[in-house]
Amino acid sequence: MATNAAAHHDDHDHAHDHGTPTGWRRFMYSTNHKDIGTLYIIFAIFAGLIGAAMSIAMRAELAGTGIGVFPGIAKLLTGDGSIDAAKNMYNVFITAHGLIMIFFMVMPALIGGFGNWFVPLMIGAPDMAFPRMNNISFWLLPASFALLVTSTFVEGAPGMMGFGGGWVMYPPLSSNTGHPGPAMDFAILSIHLAGASSILGAINFITTIFNMRAPGMTLHKMPLFAWSVLITAFLLVLSLPVLAGAITMLLTDRNFGTTFFDPSGGGDPILFQHLFWFFGHPEVYILILPGFGIISHIISTFSKKPVFGYLGMAYAMVAIGAVGFVVWAHHMYTVGLSLNTQRYFVFATMVIAVPTGVKIFSWIATMWGGSISFRVPMLWAVGFIFLFTVGGVTGVVLANAGVDRALHETYYVVAHFHYVLSLGAVYAIFAAFYYWFPKMSGYMYNEGLGKIHFWLMFVGVNLTFFPQHFLGLAGMPRRYIDYPDAYALWNTVSSWGSYLSGVGIILFLYLIWDAFAKKVPAGDNPWGEGANTLEWTLSSPPAFHTYETLPRITGSNH
Amino acid sequence: MTQGKLGAGSRKVLAGAAALLAAATSMGSSVLAQEVGRGLPNQIGLIPGVTPIAHEIDFFHNVILLPIITIISLFVLGLLIYVMVKFNEKSNPTPSKTTHHTGLEVAWTVIPVMILVVIAIPSFRLLTHQLTLPEADVTVKVSGKQWYWSYAYSKDAAGAGGFEFDSNILDQEKLPAGKLRLLDVDNEAVVPVNKTVRLQVTADAVGVIHSFVIQSFGVRIDAVPGRLNETWFKAEKEGIYYGQCSKICGKDHAFMPIVFRVVSDEKYKEWLEKSAKEFAATDGPVKFAGVEPTTLRQ
Amino acid sequence: MADGHAKPNHDYHLVNPSPWPLVGSIAAFVTAVGAIMWMKSMALFGMKMGGFLFFAGMIGILYVMAAWWTDVVREAETGDHTRVVQISHRYGMILFIASEVMFFVAWFWAFFDASLFFNEPIQAARVEFTGGKWPPTGVNVFDPWHLPLLNTLILLTSGTTVTWAHHGMLHNDRSALTKGLVLTILLGAIFTCVQAYEYAHAPFGFKGSIYGATFFMATGFHGFHVLVGTIFLAVCLMRVLKGQFTPTQHLGFEFAAWYWHFVDVVWLFLFVCVYVWGNWGGQIAH
Repeated sequence: MATNAAAHHDDHDHAHDHGTPTGWRRFMYSTNHKDIGTLYIIFAIFAGLIGAAMSIAMRAELAGTGIGVFPGIAKLLTGDGSIDAAKNMYNVFITAHGLIMIFFMVMPALIGGFGNWFVPLMIGAPDMAFPRMNNISFWLLPASFALLVTSTFVEGAPGMMGFGGGWVMYPPLSSNTGHPGPAMDFAILSIHLAGASSILGAINFITTIFNMRAPGMTLHKMPLFAWSVLITAFLLVLSLPVLAGAITMLLTDRNFGTTFFDPSGGGDPILFQHLFWFFGHPEVYILILPGFGIISHIISTFSKKPVFGYLGMAYAMVAIGAVGFVVWAHHMYTVGLSLNTQRYFVFATMVIAVPTGVKIFSWIATMWGGSISFRVPMLWAVGFIFLFTVGGVTGVVLANAGVDRALHETYYVVAHFHYVLSLGAVYAIFAAFYYWFPKMSGYMYNEGLGKIHFWLMFVGVNLTFFPQHFLGLAGMPRRYIDYPDAYALWNTVSSWGSYLSGVGIILFLYLIWDAFAKKVPAGDNPWGEGANTLEWTLSSPPAFHTYETLPRITGSNH
Repeated sequence: MTQGKLGAGSRKVLAGAAALLAAATSMGSSVLAQEVGRGLPNQIGLIPGVTPIAHEIDFFHNVILLPIITIISLFVLGLLIYVMVKFNEKSNPTPSKTTHHTGLEVAWTVIPVMILVVIAIPSFRLLTHQLTLPEADVTVKVSGKQWYWSYAYSKDAAGAGGFEFDSNILDQEKLPAGKLRLLDVDNEAVVPVNKTVRLQVTADAVGVIHSFVIQSFGVRIDAVPGRLNETWFKAEKEGIYYGQCSKICGKDHAFMPIVFRVVSDEKYKEWLEKSAKEFAATDGPVKFAGVEPTTLRQ
Repeated sequence: MADGHAKPNHDYHLVNPSPWPLVGSIAAFVTAVGAIMWMKSMALFGMKMGGFLFFAGMIGILYVMAAWWTDVVREAETGDHTRVVQISHRYGMILFIASEVMFFVAWFWAFFDASLFFNEPIQAARVEFTGGKWPPTGVNVFDPWHLPLLNTLILLTSGTTVTWAHHGMLHNDRSALTKGLVLTILLGAIFTCVQAYEYAHAPFGFKGSIYGATFFMATGFHGFHVLVGTIFLAVCLMRVLKGQFTPTQHLGFEFAAWYWHFVDVVWLFLFVCVYVWGNWGGQIAH
């Protein structure tokens, strides 16, 4: 993979940067992929902090039996500190935590942020195909986020604030039966806007990658991160409209008397679940695929070796993306699907393990025989491989409908998807941040602090999520504000783990501040010979407009 | 990269994995020794099953899946540790440029497929057993409501049964001694031991989705408004078995437990008689929207 | 480039900074808030201003669309749309239509969920509602071979007229181009009128029945697309009259034609599935 650019150092000649807009307009009106990428990353950090704070609040509630923390939170947010308000607010938090982390943290960070910054740089394109549309993809997100936040402060369930039906929003809990108030309508339109943002962004990425690769860069020479974003973008374009359709039907059920999901009018609540998961399952690959791409680059860079089995890696992602569209009902084994339907979905789901295994082993093979330096991004990447494997194998367990009967909707599932997302996608985000921060800012961060951050989070998240497997096996259902006393020990351990991760996040913020305060120049390529994708041929930070003369790709080293 | 090296590494890893696994199994057995229908303090494994299906789940998870995934995870961990030790900058200053090895690539595609086949055989068998409903001795209709469960017993051939009652969580403020917080209810559902019990599960027609679960029975099925789901179990041991609603259903989602008491035939008959007097009557066999329940699933 | 600085050494279009994305997002937010306040009769500062906010937001959105696309047209006129940029635009439009197709998948999914599985014992409440039949018992349906067939013929004809116009465009035959476009727009307008007439005489409503819900959602969303397509074609007609298209560069027209064909194809599916197959054996309303 990766590509050798014919000697190409244009940007130093353009230090004066003609035509750079200044002041607030530079960002508000931006049509520059790097500035928009920066906006996305700042937004993702902001949303991520809110989402993380919510998760720590939930862990604080679950640290001991009884209901202790949420009456205070409910009182703070809505003025009502009763136990009922607390129970409701807990549900609002689990819902908002999910939606925020998915739509406002992981996707903006990986696709909007690093995708915007580095897809054009890696493929040698001067910008995105539709720079102005790129900007509305970003600005729809704050609008969407504002709607979601508003949702928390208006009535949902009778007499209570916010929507507390889980991020999956199943009717009838999300229809007038469960949440007649406007909170759910705010959530629906929030997702409409976030969906529009993602569809437009996806169209932009696909077009950019298909049409704007530098001369000589065939698809089979394209860096894996660009591959991963390309596949992700296809998943977005094909899956998000179905979700938009589903929540539109929910909106008309709520406000115009239709009965799509209302059995008394011939509708079917399960229809919503099918539509939702037809989007929802590709969505989880949307969250993780860009991470796959990033991890490949980091492993290769710090092993000083090209990626092992480049084509296999690229097409494994294609396979994961394609099969990801035909496995949705494995989220619905307990709704009453027929035997044959369940058999099919078990089979299809297990198939996905194969390309995923190819990726894991190819990463290890990339390291094999390498000369590995354990800089901060590499720590996160190696952590990713192991923890993603753990999340992956519990996924194989859950794929079996027979045993899912015991584990569905328990903390085992929570542990599983946090291993692949909180420890998979989020590790990829941190890895990418530490890998590309010197390129984006021009400054080097404090390596020692970065390592401490990694170890804090490594211990923290494992402490948080590993015991949750035990809780799930022992039958603790998810989305519970209080639990039988038997589950106390592992919940307490889990909560302490989340506090430790919280400390890690604070350290991370300090590290960013420290890097900008100390201003240690990073140099164009701080990672050495292993970092051979095009972005490392540019200055750090790159000029406002890069590749005013297109690079010409002459060779390939895979 | 040679396969010889890989082989040496993986042998060490496998040995370690086997040792760890042995330790894990011995920890699990102490839990298995007890017969309880709920999660116990500090438990790390599945709640032991008391029905044929639950035994099959236990076997499939504990004997097939858990060892396989543990070995795979430790194998990957071992490989990672090996490359980190063997191929770091200090011990291996000059990186190789190997990017292909057809044999390896075929191996790590084919071997996972084989492992999946090994998993798939018992998996499909279990699934088929779960979803093939045998002839039922007792039928209980279960309705999820916000936020409690209702149980209806149809009148059997002998004329016993034919009543319906609600099962609410006990007042947590005034919990009687010996009762479990968040688990015990005022009216337990009672079923006979060693009899096939068919559950017809639905939800309040104008309510939301709930999910009925008793892990010891290997039973979990959603209670969906407008739908009549079916499942079954055949409990082999008398005792009290617990479950908790497992589909988010509003503010009291965590406060609508499920309790089934499995008793001897005689005690069951006594309970039926007592309950027929105590609880509201329902007429005839439990029907739902005029549909004969037995036609539900082939 | 358009900002007057040295032209970079490539053919891509680096767009100037623009206020429209930000303004558009704010307008979308206002529209969403307005829509909810309107639907839920909510008051802000003691006033029920939902309807006002909704329309204010919509005007904002429409204004941004007009301003944005005016900028695009100007950029096309000033030569920013090089060959490679035009290819990007084609990709963009194809992908947009692909996402629209997936939108319709949702409506068709809902339709088939109800019309194929109307008599599953497990779905007790639905069976009770449909009476084990599709169309559900008690629902009088349209005769597909009446107005719907007429509409099918209208749309198919409009597909040929737009191709005629395209042909005129490519061969610089302005008369054929204008006539073809005008005819297509007229046919589109007639389709919408017929559809409106049909809706007004529908023997079933949007509310309370899965039949009406799936019917109106699918055909209504299609009707909205016809409206958008007609406006798109009308804009193209104006641009034709202004002489903005050339036989070699007329992406706006081409996209309008693609969009129109897409709308056409969706209608064929609606006609065959919803009107003909979905109404088979139903009680025809007179």
